[in-house]
Amino acid sequence: MNNAMLGLFNLGGGEIILILFVFLFLAAGAIAVVLIVLWLVGRQSKSPRAVPPVQPPSPMPPPSRNCPRCGAPLPAGAPEGLCPRCVLGVGLATHTEVPGDFGPQGTQVLQPPPDPAELTRHFPQLEILECLGRGGMGMVYKARQPKLNRLVALKILAPEKGADPKFAERFLREAQALARLSHPNIVTVHDFGEADGLYYLLMEYVDGVTLRQLLQGHKIAPEQALDIVPKICEALQFAHEQGIVHRDIKPENVLLDKQGRVKIADFGIAKLVGAEAPRLALTEEQSVIGTPHYMAPEQMEKPQSVDHRADIYSLGVVFYEMLTGELPLGKFQPPSRKVQVDVRLDEVVLHTLEKEPERRYQHASEVKTDVEAIAAGRSAPAAATPQTRQVDGASTATPRFSRTAIWGAVWAPLFLITAGAALMTFQVTAGPDSPPPGPAWWQVVLSLTLLPLGVAAPFGTTILGWVAISQIRHSCGRLYGLGLAVFDALAYPLLASDALILAPALLMLSSSAAQVPGQVVRPWIGYWWVWLAAFGLIAVVDWLIVRAVWRSAKKPAV
Amino acid sequence: MNPHPWQMTSSSTQSPRASAGCFVTTHWSVVLTAGRNDTARARAALEQLCRNYWHPLYAYVRGAGYSREEAEDLTQEFFARLLAQNSVARADPARGRFRSFLLASLKHFLANEWEKARARKRGGGAQLLPLEFDTAETRCAQPVAPGDTPDRAYDRQWALALLDVVLGQLRREYRHAGREDMYLGLKDTLSGGRSEIPYRELGARLGLSEGAVKVAAHRLRQRYRELLRAEIANTVAGPEEVEEELQHLFAALRP
Repeated sequence: MNNAMLGLFNLGGGEIILILFVFLFLAAGAIAVVLIVLWLVGRQSKSPRAVPPVQPPSPMPPPSRNCPRCGAPLPAGAPEGLCPRCVLGVGLATHTEVPGDFGPQGTQVLQPPPDPAELTRHFPQLEILECLGRGGMGMVYKARQPKLNRLVALKILAPEKGADPKFAERFLREAQALARLSHPNIVTVHDFGEADGLYYLLMEYVDGVTLRQLLQGHKIAPEQALDIVPKICEALQFAHEQGIVHRDIKPENVLLDKQGRVKIADFGIAKLVGAEAPRLALTEEQSVIGTPHYMAPEQMEKPQSVDHRADIYSLGVVFYEMLTGELPLGKFQPPSRKVQVDVRLDEVVLHTLEKEPERRYQHASEVKTDVEAIAAGRSAPAAATPQTRQVDGASTATPRFSRTAIWGAVWAPLFLITAGAALMTFQVTAGPDSPPPGPAWWQVVLSLTLLPLGVAAPFGTTILGWVAISQIRHSCGRLYGLGLAVFDALAYPLLASDALILAPALLMLSSSAAQVPGQVVRPWIGYWWVWLAAFGLIAVVDWLIVRAVWRSAKKPAV
Repeated sequence: MNPHPWQMTSSSTQSPRASAGCFVTTHWSVVLTAGRNDTARARAALEQLCRNYWHPLYAYVRGAGYSREEAEDLTQEFFARLLAQNSVARADPARGRFRSFLLASLKHFLANEWEKARARKRGGGAQLLPLEFDTAETRCAQPVAPGDTPDRAYDRQWALALLDVVLGQLRREYRHAGREDMYLGLKDTLSGGRSEIPYRELGARLGLSEGAVKVAAHRLRQRYRELLRAEIANTVAGPEEVEEELQHLFAALRP
């Protein structure tokens, strides 16, 4: 073969084989990367975000009843036929007397509840009308402010709290934070303070019922639930933006007035009254023991490190209860399997009930958006039945494959096509009998169009890959295809690094080949250990990089 | 040691510290502090503990994969050895709780001695505890939740066994006072949820006014709490551990 001058390169026959080898190897490397990424994706797909995990129907439960209080199935052989968890919970509480609850005749009650007449002494500026009952943390009374001629709710916090001096300080701080919560869906705090040792909160009076009362009366229609939940979300979103977490969202704290307005009560009270000290909270009969089912898992395990996402979990429990009338305990069924509701709601509810906060909705406003979208979708005449199984592609709640990742993947091969075309171009003109070198017109056109795209492909694909990774991480499950995005992001960098590792090996081999002009083929095989070392190094480096990037991509976006 | 239910006043919340004197006689502390002279007493205490809390051991063994027949043999053999040897003398008092001690002993037994003991037939002279395996088997035969380990099953069954003991004591007390009907009528109030308890109906059933029913239920609940704490005290080394043990067991019952 002649050593003809070809373009920029001094290409002899051996060098052409060399280049072919290089490209073959790079292609193999690319395929290896693809396989690795696909394998990683396959491993992660135990918990796919693309399709919401619909719980398989739970195995036939043993013929046991459910605890009427917490709804959990009674274990076989339950002591005295009672729910062990509830019974032990009662055992946990050390306060034997709760003010105002029993008042056994003739016996001394430790902390007598202030009755309305007595309260008027402490609050001369109010007209105490009646006792509304026992709230989460204290007694609530209906009262009237004569000066302003309006009704208010007076909440007296449990008197024994007043003994703690640190409590006073905390109370002040928290009450000030609560006073900032001025929102149509939040029960307004008019005033707060301490009167003769009694800590009190003066709140807006809501003439209506609690969600709990509605739930006990009759099951709420799904339409009503879809109407109530967004309003709760608005309240939560507003409070969260103010940096206030409710921590005790439950049906007893959701009030509905006669005009159908939704108001959340007792914001931040849990923290106010000292849920920070878990021991203290556990001795309050109805605060933790009564409503552990609404608490997010992280709230039970590490109460101090709880953030606004715990409220989203509680909202999910309430939502589930509104739709199905039951609590989501253990292996629970999605709402659409229990009542006739839109299947898309399952996804929303399950997303709020994720055990890990990172996997939940990150903002209450997102829940509201999704719920409203579904509610709007239902009223559209196109929807045949409420139980339509066709997922609407335009629905914002439906996860879709990241388009950025797709474009990146499409762009990638252009580089190889361009390189191949370039090689072909040079090869065609390399033939010994060929006309003097000069590219044909079609080759020029091809080069001019493909060349820029092709040359830019490595950069383009890589950039698109990283962008796609970031988008997917921040999409809260709405985008999927992390595997392809990682592939895009890493394919060319890895190929380049592979080439860098391979280059010294090839140089070494080609230089030794040059020294023995007659024997071109042998060195390739003779120095097999060079190949082994090079391939080994490449494999290790690629693997480490892919793994590191995959792990950090999978970490939740804070 | 335990006052009659009708003699207490409602304002007497006996904190564990108030009855510190009782702790000298609790079972586990007796066992731990037994010297050479007290072996008979220590043995009796240990035997009582074993009778009350063998279910969780059985649950652990079954959860660890042993068949029913083997689990029965194993449990019997383990207890026979525990009671025969003075292995408890080696128990470290600082460790504190009978529950952990028992589980550790069982694991040690399973790891080291069960293989050898299985080969031999059980000796005729060994004292066997009267254990009802049927009830234990029903309790263990729950659909196992994912992530359930034998250790967790053990703790859960321990909580159930504890409730068995306490509720049994409570019932016996009422029976001795001739008020077992009261206990049976009111025991559902032990699940809590005060606002959901239909006091009026209960009163009608028992022939009491609503107010009287509330008082009776309250007394029952309070007595239950006292007995619960007393029984937990039986299994821990000191009064300061009672609350912690109670919270641990409550957490163990989480679904």
